[in-house]
Amino acid sequence: MPKKTVIFILSLCWLTVMLQASFKKEDIKVFQLDNGLKIILYEDHKIPNISYYTFFKVGSRCERPGLTGVSHFIEHMMFNGTKKYGPGQFDRLMEFNGGANNAYTGDDFTAYTDWFPSTALEKMVELEADRMQGLLFDPQVLESERGVVASERRMSVENNNEAILYENVRATAIMAHPYHWDVIGWMSDILGWRPDDIKQYYQTYYAPNNAVLVVVGDFESSKLMELIKKYYGPIPAQSPPPPIITVEPPQQGRKEVVVRKEAQTPSFMVVYHGPACTSPDFFALSILQKPLVEGESSRLYRRLVREEQLALSVSGGIEEKIDPFLFMIEVKPRPGVDLTRIEKIIDEELAKIIQEGLTETEFEKARNIGLSSFYFGLQTNSGKANMLGAMEMLYGSYERLFTYIDSYLAVKREDIPSVARKYFNDLNKTAGYLLPEGGQR
Amino acid sequence: MSKFLTVLTIFLLLLPAMLFSTERLPRPEKITLDNGLVVYYLQNPELPLVSFRLLIKGAGSAFEPEGLDGLANFTADMLLKGTSTMTAEEIAEALDFMGARLTFTSVEEYASGGGDCLSQFLPRLLQIASDCLSSPTFKEDEYEKELSRKVDTLKAVKDNPARALRQYFKKAYFGQHPFGHISLGTDSSLARMSLSELKKFHAQRYRPDMTMMAVVGDVKREDLIKILNETFGRWPKAAGPAPAASIPPLPSPAGQKLVLVDKPDATQAYFALGSPGFAQKDKIAVPATIMNTLWGGRFTSWLSTELRIKRGLTYGASSSFQSWKIGGLFMASSYTRNEKIGEMLDITFDLLKKARSQGFSPEEIESAKNYIIGQFPETLETNGSKASAYLRLVFYELGFDYFDHYLVDIQAARPEEIKKAAARLLPEKSYTLVVVGKASDIKKQLDKFGRWEEKKITDPDF
Repeated sequence: MPKKTVIFILSLCWLTVMLQASFKKEDIKVFQLDNGLKIILYEDHKIPNISYYTFFKVGSRCERPGLTGVSHFIEHMMFNGTKKYGPGQFDRLMEFNGGANNAYTGDDFTAYTDWFPSTALEKMVELEADRMQGLLFDPQVLESERGVVASERRMSVENNNEAILYENVRATAIMAHPYHWDVIGWMSDILGWRPDDIKQYYQTYYAPNNAVLVVVGDFESSKLMELIKKYYGPIPAQSPPPPIITVEPPQQGRKEVVVRKEAQTPSFMVVYHGPACTSPDFFALSILQKPLVEGESSRLYRRLVREEQLALSVSGGIEEKIDPFLFMIEVKPRPGVDLTRIEKIIDEELAKIIQEGLTETEFEKARNIGLSSFYFGLQTNSGKANMLGAMEMLYGSYERLFTYIDSYLAVKREDIPSVARKYFNDLNKTAGYLLPEGGQR
Repeated sequence: MSKFLTVLTIFLLLLPAMLFSTERLPRPEKITLDNGLVVYYLQNPELPLVSFRLLIKGAGSAFEPEGLDGLANFTADMLLKGTSTMTAEEIAEALDFMGARLTFTSVEEYASGGGDCLSQFLPRLLQIASDCLSSPTFKEDEYEKELSRKVDTLKAVKDNPARALRQYFKKAYFGQHPFGHISLGTDSSLARMSLSELKKFHAQRYRPDMTMMAVVGDVKREDLIKILNETFGRWPKAAGPAPAASIPPLPSPAGQKLVLVDKPDATQAYFALGSPGFAQKDKIAVPATIMNTLWGGRFTSWLSTELRIKRGLTYGASSSFQSWKIGGLFMASSYTRNEKIGEMLDITFDLLKKARSQGFSPEEIESAKNYIIGQFPETLETNGSKASAYLRLVFYELGFDYFDHYLVDIQAARPEEIKKAAARLLPEKSYTLVVVGKASDIKKQLDKFGRWEEKKITDPDF
């Protein structure tokens, strides 16, 4: 016990040293334009490349029935032409200048991620500023892109049993809040969105006052700011988007959803309503999940995969979301096993944590896992840009990144049982079974 | 100083300072251990992290006895399932405790390993890694657990059309050649598998003199050497010569081989089209990479433009080359809803024909060159990616200056070389084409391509 305390204190000192030594808050420059655009810059000249990340505070959380999936669809349309640069020009120009890009849409925010040699900087500032305001929405292109997104849904959901089950469980557990649907949206919405609604949505959310720009890499901040002012300055601010007011009511009893599908193997998952990322409970659950489901030494892996041999794999945990979301435990069962047995074992293991909490070793392990994945995430320009931006979107400030570790360290081992008791109870639970057609539960 | 090891050779590979700006990959130091194990080392103190990579020549799937698909990978999996000093549980516990990652796997030509950790845990992680490689216990109960998990995993793979497609393609393209071995195993190979085969494979093929290692990160040279002394340096020297590691020449398909795998619940049809590529050291790599970038290697490539951007037929369409010592493979793949697979294949074949006959415009070529050169630095940004690059360059005998002249050669490549690469490498009449989908919905569209060998996804094997 004393030995472990020493290790813990040492690692704490070392962390502080490390953060100050290489990637510190003081080296980050922050600006805001009159139109509300926030800019976060971190110079790093190790490689002659730049990671240029644009974050918009829009995701499926902002959608409504009939428009589900539209946040993700606009992410696609952002590559399909503006008044200045026709369809496909963005990618062609970017690749011509040695750049590549991607984008992702989540429940809470959307990110556009560009990586390019520093020689391409001005072109990229121009291209990104251009598509923040000027999307064309050519009718023919829009219809073609609808097909792409429908294909994406067929691939990622309809031909993937785990994803079908996830969609069903999520929609069963969450009944009122827009987290009810997944980012991809329902197929009938994808096929039915009206172009005017899509354009209106774009205008509301793709505004400088709803965006944060994070740039990390090989550039000079003062020169970059001149470019940013030149290209983004003229973009007008929009009225702020409406707040999301729906609050998910407390669940009042165990829910269950059963999906029957042609398959060779069943799927299983169980979810509990969890806290928003800003809740102190979030970090306690984030610690708790590591000895529960992460790695082959975790309690559920040992029990389900190794000892009882009921499953091929176990995964899950709490997701970092603006509003309260779910703590998920996903199990890939072996063919033919009794899924109720899996659910019962999960109940037993959670009950143990409620009664006894985590061991000293498990607790320390959870911290080490948290710290090492945090630092491995900061290895690259893109990793830094992504984390800075995510902190802005989820917590309202990039500065959160530099106190993130403190939140981990603030969790006390004694807190774990009460936090577990609060969330892991039958009233708060939804279980999902995907059963091969004709198979037994 | 440990008696088991002395540092035999140290090469400092330094380039003149004036060339430094064009040195794409920092040169590592080479350290050869007493037992023949070679280590490449680069210090990077930026973050308190270290990564290492391992490559064990001759322990890949190409060296599995016929009918024992998956043996090499199974052997690699078992390294983490118990050593002379630790049980499987203790290994998992120790790794998770450190928040570290340690993996072993195999590809066609070699087995490989990798570890990443906070620098303070490096001694412990290297200790575990070297125990796993040198003294795995291959316990019966761990073997049985792993075997039954593998049998069930095969069923889960068949529930996922994209994953299933890759296995069917490998078998269809390589046939009896050892590169056709499925690393997951097959229903029949797992039925034939035995613990004694695993032990034999490990005893014969995991040897310090056949192993290379690269360590990059926040560790001082003298500290690393001390740790290596106490860990990998104690792996006993192998007795006798290493077993043969030659691989028969790759098959080159003559005519068309068409395979249709019926998956009745699929709402999309998935295809993979393949033909011979080029060997790692083949000079055609430079024009071929430019050509592939333009044809199917990036978002605005011809294939992606026609199938995704213009027609909305799919979410993804791409092509790639994979290269080994003795040859390579070209592969294009995509997927679309069932009623469009015929159209998708027509367009794909038209684009192959167009590239072979017309080549690419000067603007396109300039764009591809800028793209390859511009994206390059990020491929070597992390400790792990540098360590992997060192081992790859040594294994394929390309030299640590490979990227320096590779990028110069990319810049200098001429349009006619690129057109020639298209004409030589993009398939015309000889290829393997595999489709996974709902046969009753797609069969009619496929008839015009030739005679299809039909399989059911529920049939055993691939």
